[in-house]
Amino acid sequence: MEEERLDQVLSALPRDFNDPPPPLEEMWTVIEAAHFNSRASTPVKTRNRSLAPWLAAAATLVLGIGIGRSLPTGEESPAQRSASVAPTGEDPATREDASPAVDAYRDQASQYLGQTAALLISLPAAGEDDQSDARFAGKASDLLVTTRLLMDSPAAQDPKLRGLLEDLELVLVQIARLRVERNRSDLDLIHQTVEQADVISRLNSAAVTTQSAE
Amino acid sequence: MNEAQLIARVIAGDRLAGRALYDTHAPRVYSLAYRLSGDAEKAREVTQDTFIRAFSRLSQFRGDAAFGTWLHRIVLTVVSNTRRIDHRFGREVALDEANAIEVKVPEPDPDLKDCIARAVDRLSEAYRTTLIMHDIEGYTHAEIAGILGVPEGTSKSRLSAARAQLRQDLAAFRE
Repeated sequence: MEEERLDQVLSALPRDFNDPPPPLEEMWTVIEAAHFNSRASTPVKTRNRSLAPWLAAAATLVLGIGIGRSLPTGEESPAQRSASVAPTGEDPATREDASPAVDAYRDQASQYLGQTAALLISLPAAGEDDQSDARFAGKASDLLVTTRLLMDSPAAQDPKLRGLLEDLELVLVQIARLRVERNRSDLDLIHQTVEQADVISRLNSAAVTTQSAE
Repeated sequence: MNEAQLIARVIAGDRLAGRALYDTHAPRVYSLAYRLSGDAEKAREVTQDTFIRAFSRLSQFRGDAAFGTWLHRIVLTVVSNTRRIDHRFGREVALDEANAIEVKVPEPDPDLKDCIARAVDRLSEAYRTTLIMHDIEGYTHAEIAGILGVPEGTSKSRLSAARAQLRQDLAAFRE
């Protein structure tokens, strides 16, 4: 075949090889489910392997107690009832085994809430320098892991706590991003989110609640 | 927001940023996957696999090359692996589908078209990939070189060799 003829043939290939429109939505559904959904559950699986199995159950108990106590209903919450019953329960051995678990989780939750509040409060109004941004971003990344652990734990079944954790996740993602991207508008956005969602006062409330359960 | 910022957001778990990256690159990724695999269903699987792999390895992306280049390398790897696994890959199906879609285009000699399809399939993987990317998808030699990780001259010589082999295979149609 002559070179010229071959060029004609090859130039016609794009028409002959005309491809169908890509099923963008269908493909994205699969990608999103495979990456982002599994990503959310991964830390839980990892953490569940590394911590004692009772920790997740203890999360519900302790936060339930804490949040239950803070509810202004004047009535004893189910969690309070179970907590008040537990010390006089019929199986002291079980109670002795559960207490360290509860204390361990309570310490972690309290520490998490305190650290998150401290981070948000100390966040400067405007970027200072790359080093301080990296410090904040690194801390936010660490707290983000804990946040997602809590979000996937039974503790997040409580709608009040879940709402707080979701807002915290959003804020912490924004702060973690400062490591690679720093500008005034991002910091403004973070502060705006914190203010609009009343994050700090809700954090303080949750921290006090958790501490009062100790 | 630039691509580096989007990538950082995806690493942080931002699915909207992931969608933005996907929207930017998916059509071209799918198109290349379709050309190379010759099958719409395979192209869909390759595209999905490419983005899933890319997102899971984003933290390893150093930005030495453009994100699109890095992504296309993954496409080629996925297609190559798939071709090794699935021996049923062929261009005939794709060409039949193309006929059904592009009805307004004057019908070329069907025998010639079959011959082209077979000739393209007979090319080595390196030649076929280069030919499809350059002559069909419209990539430049610089882009191909970046994606394949070879010098630009290698891309040119591969294209030249691929065309020579095609010319030889299509000699029966010499006018």
